[in-house]
Amino acid sequence: MTGRVLPFRGRPLSSEAGIRAAERVLSTPIDERVSKAKALHLEDPETLLALCGLIRERMSASPASAKLEAEFLYRFIESPRREIGLFDERDYFLGETALLTGMACRCLSEREEAWIWFDRAEAGFRHTMNAPAEMSRLSYQRLAERLEERQFDLVLELLPSLVESFQKLGMPEDALKCRFLEGLAMFERDDPSAAIRVFNAIRDEADAMGSQTLLADAYVNLVHAHGMLGEAEAAIEASRRAIPILRELDNRISLAKVHWGLATLLREEGRIAEAVDSYRSAQEDFDAIGMRADIAALNLVVADLLLEEGKSVEALREISEALPVIAELKMAPEGMAALSLVRESVRRQEVNRQALRELHGYFQELQN
Amino acid sequence: MTLDVIHSALISYYRLNEEEARGAEEDLSVWFQRLARRGGAGHMPPKLLRISLLSAACQYGRSFQLWKLGGEQSADNSLNELLAREPDEVAGDLDRRFEGERS
Repeated sequence: MTGRVLPFRGRPLSSEAGIRAAERVLSTPIDERVSKAKALHLEDPETLLALCGLIRERMSASPASAKLEAEFLYRFIESPRREIGLFDERDYFLGETALLTGMACRCLSEREEAWIWFDRAEAGFRHTMNAPAEMSRLSYQRLAERLEERQFDLVLELLPSLVESFQKLGMPEDALKCRFLEGLAMFERDDPSAAIRVFNAIRDEADAMGSQTLLADAYVNLVHAHGMLGEAEAAIEASRRAIPILRELDNRISLAKVHWGLATLLREEGRIAEAVDSYRSAQEDFDAIGMRADIAALNLVVADLLLEEGKSVEALREISEALPVIAELKMAPEGMAALSLVRESVRRQEVNRQALRELHGYFQELQN
Repeated sequence: MTLDVIHSALISYYRLNEEEARGAEEDLSVWFQRLARRGGAGHMPPKLLRISLLSAACQYGRSFQLWKLGGEQSADNSLNELLAREPDEVAGDLDRRFEGERS
């Protein structure tokens, strides 16, 4: 028989003091934090809990800094080994900070790293008291990553089991969130009408449960899907609903995606110059939050548009800008094949449009 | 009612004395307040929170009693049998008892 008691050392901070301590930590340069750990109450679970909350809130406004902060916390707790709080709290914070880092990597399209962080999150969550709930949250992130890697069949196969887990655990908001993956898989399989039905259902349910985050994301996806079908009125209405909520939530990732969706609509309407301007605007948004993969993906979309206009020199310039970023990312075989063809066509100064479309299809940013 | 179940589990099952049980309950209370805020506000449903709390109480009681026994067996066989069981399993029994008393 084995057993351990983790005694509580000293008086814990109150939750309000934890929030203040967390804000002090974030305003302290990272390289000064370890030496000031005691004064910053960095080992206090209240501080860590507040830090995780702040990082989660900032994820959609600045994934690059969220990654930096969450990774710092993981490494601080992990080595040298620090005993944090009571019972399972060390394991929980290792799991949560790894999950946050993985989520940020996913936003930044750093796929190999995301998988490593999800494995680390599992190693932490496995030892927590409420492991089924934490592991289910992790499973959602893993499925979202698989969706971005275009493994649609696998996502659709595994999704019902995850929805069932969330329902059994009494987590309806998380269960609803899973439906985005279903809608996005349909969208990516060139069935925007089916996707619209799913996103409308999510919108209604999110509205009924009062979840502003899910409601806004439903509208963002509706902008894209209606835009793809050239349904201007519906796309514009969805964007009109999404933007105020996204501004209030400071969700800059989704705001950029709204611009992207509107650009798609303009393109479908044949308003090419305006579409290019709108894609540029989305690129600026992505640039401000460090989402390089999305900028590169939009370079490819713009290149395709320019080719449509017979501007092959400008198109080649767009592709050349995107290639170094794309090459830096680890991609699945079909992405690599398309990349090779595009590279070859750049070398020959004659673009293989089918390969270009496959490549930017591969890179099509997936919401949520 | 959960607090009563926890108190009686620590005292009657794991044989902690009143002072030890009070100390345990203070720690559990602090931990539980944070547990409820994990993964974003309002994330965990009440039933899951209750099971986690009961499980933590059992782990605490078991660890504490094992530490007191210093690796020796207790003269009380029913205590030895309880300590040989997984805390989560005991917590499951307590939860069923809790549900039974509520209905």
